[in-house]
Amino acid sequence: MKFGFVRVLLLIAALFVAIPVHAEQRNFYKIGVITELSGDLVTGGNITKRGYDLWAQEVNAKGGIEVQGKKYQVKLVYADAQSNPAAGAAAAERLITQEKVDFILGPYSSGVTLAVAPVVDKYKVPMITGSAESPLIWKNKFKYTFGTIPPINFTGATSIKTLTELKPAPKTIAIIGSNDAFSKATAEAYKTAAEKAKLKIVKFSIVPSGQDMTPLLSAVRSMKPDVIAFGGHDEEHVKFVKALKQIGYTPKALLMHCGITDKAFTDAVGKDGEQIFGTTCWTGTAKTKSKVLWPTASAYAAASQKAFKNPGDYTQGGCSAAGIAFQTALQKIGAKPGMDEAMRAKLVQALEQIDVQTFYGRVKFATSGEFYHANVGLDPLTIQIQKGQIKTVGPKASVEAAAQYPMKEWKSR
Amino acid sequence: MMELLPQALTDGILLGGIYITIAIAFSLTYGVMHVIDFAVGEWIMFGAFTGYYLNKWTGLDPFIFLPVIFVIYFGVGYLVQPVIHRVLSGTKGNPFLMGLVFTFGLAIMFRGLALTAFGFYSNSIPSAFSEGSFNLESIGLTVTIPTVRLMGLAYAVAITLILHYLLKKTNFGLGVRALAQHKDAAGLMGVNAKRTGSYVYGIYVGISAMTGVLLGCILSIGAQMGNEYTIFAFFVVVLAGMGYLAGVPWAALLLGLVQSIFMIYFNPSHTLLAVFVILYIILLISPRGLFGKGV
Repeated sequence: MKFGFVRVLLLIAALFVAIPVHAEQRNFYKIGVITELSGDLVTGGNITKRGYDLWAQEVNAKGGIEVQGKKYQVKLVYADAQSNPAAGAAAAERLITQEKVDFILGPYSSGVTLAVAPVVDKYKVPMITGSAESPLIWKNKFKYTFGTIPPINFTGATSIKTLTELKPAPKTIAIIGSNDAFSKATAEAYKTAAEKAKLKIVKFSIVPSGQDMTPLLSAVRSMKPDVIAFGGHDEEHVKFVKALKQIGYTPKALLMHCGITDKAFTDAVGKDGEQIFGTTCWTGTAKTKSKVLWPTASAYAAASQKAFKNPGDYTQGGCSAAGIAFQTALQKIGAKPGMDEAMRAKLVQALEQIDVQTFYGRVKFATSGEFYHANVGLDPLTIQIQKGQIKTVGPKASVEAAAQYPMKEWKSR
Repeated sequence: MMELLPQALTDGILLGGIYITIAIAFSLTYGVMHVIDFAVGEWIMFGAFTGYYLNKWTGLDPFIFLPVIFVIYFGVGYLVQPVIHRVLSGTKGNPFLMGLVFTFGLAIMFRGLALTAFGFYSNSIPSAFSEGSFNLESIGLTVTIPTVRLMGLAYAVAITLILHYLLKKTNFGLGVRALAQHKDAAGLMGVNAKRTGSYVYGIYVGISAMTGVLLGCILSIGAQMGNEYTIFAFFVVVLAGMGYLAGVPWAALLLGLVQSIFMIYFNPSHTLLAVFVILYIILLISPRGLFGKGV
């Protein structure tokens, strides 16, 4: 027993010896990134990683962030949230207290973001999430948390509106959501918008994440809704499309949200992805103009294609835009690496004031109301997969192609 | 709502078929080796990816190369088993717990390897059977049976029957059953525990890998998919009675039916809760599983 205790002590001592201890003199920004690099949400987590990495690569390739005439490189320090809110909160604590990061680029999922936000508030370290979309984050009014993607209740309504403008207009809708913070919020956003648009909701169900939804969809089929709207994550999207096809029910319109704008979705479902509608706030063909890093959306998509053999989706873009938002705010207040608490508070103020045009569109954070610190500078878009390409079909001002409606039967594809 | 009942029952049985394929070989390996292999989901995942790449390279339907997958993974299992055997036959500590920790570690390692090798995106294996479905409207029932799920059920029945034949009608099966009952006594009767264990583990890994291909055709595949299936495999095997192979199909069907009926008639968000409540009640009444015949 006693010997065992000594062995544990020796092990701990060896660990301490192994940790390099040195006071850091930094001439670069040390940025913590908390995201889901393992677990159920690993796909989304890696998409955020690509977004943050691409921003860092581009900044460093240009010599760094220029502050008061001197350029500072950026260095990203990753911490895996393991798709688990508690692990995310612990990761935030470690990045702040041990790694002493200057600021944080935030998680992929809303669930993890909701766990990390109180931690960054506690230590007064600013964080921008380039992905999380649950309205709950912004309703909590966390002072140090910002987000470049608008909340789903802001974006989701646009797609429902686009669908109701189709001819002949759909009259009934079934809404299903997976049981996690973001997917549930997506389903609820669709529900609120559908009620407002006087669409008859024939079914509204929240199902445990990762479940085989075939029995539920069999029940939905018997109600013959014109539209089926689903809130979920990447793997669930694939399962959902396959289940609908297997039971042989083709609604007039199938609406999903994140994930379907990524090339990986069309790769996985092939021709079955055709004519599926989605909600987004950025595509690689968006008509944006910017003076910071990438001049247009297509320039960004090309850079992403070169780096990852994938043009990137709105989540990846949102993450790169989060980096640009920090970069702009740092330059505005002349904040050098190794910021103290007062400087970090100033950084928050600067973030509240920025209004910058990026390849992603306008980034401007709300400073009050239900969208507090969420980006309200963007126009939500309704997209549809047409011949394997993402086409914007609504709202009218952004239309690239006419919406194809009703959907082709699965078996006639 | 009652007109949905035939469809609910059909969906439940088809779902049960999937669970049989996940759990039956897992139960076999527990019965013989007394190891709960936490890496079962990862063998399923590796099989799924092998099927995915074989389909990409050859363009052939994944159902055609199921035997190839079995042979490859039988070999893998045969080679891995001696390592597990060594862990389980240790004299220090608690070999059963060591076995749990070892397979749990394997699972984590395999998941990491898969993420590095296959990437993080979800995928799907195309099959000619994914296209069609049978409609029973002609006989007055509003029931649709997806061909690919029916194939899954047929596969589950076939695997169950083959295992039944192997265990009950062959000398190898006699040895396996003897080993499951009493390792030392079986050894005295001339059963080579090491080699038989390797065959059984090979069969288990082979079946799990084939199941992965099937799941890739019916649902989706990804480097992280294993976890979910490990939980279901464990659940079915506990419900069936640990190591009681004949209970597995019934436990799997019960699980599928509960899930299906709950999703259609009750609040779908409480489906898993319902499944666990039923498990607890059954285990309270019969701690050794549905038929009271578990180890």
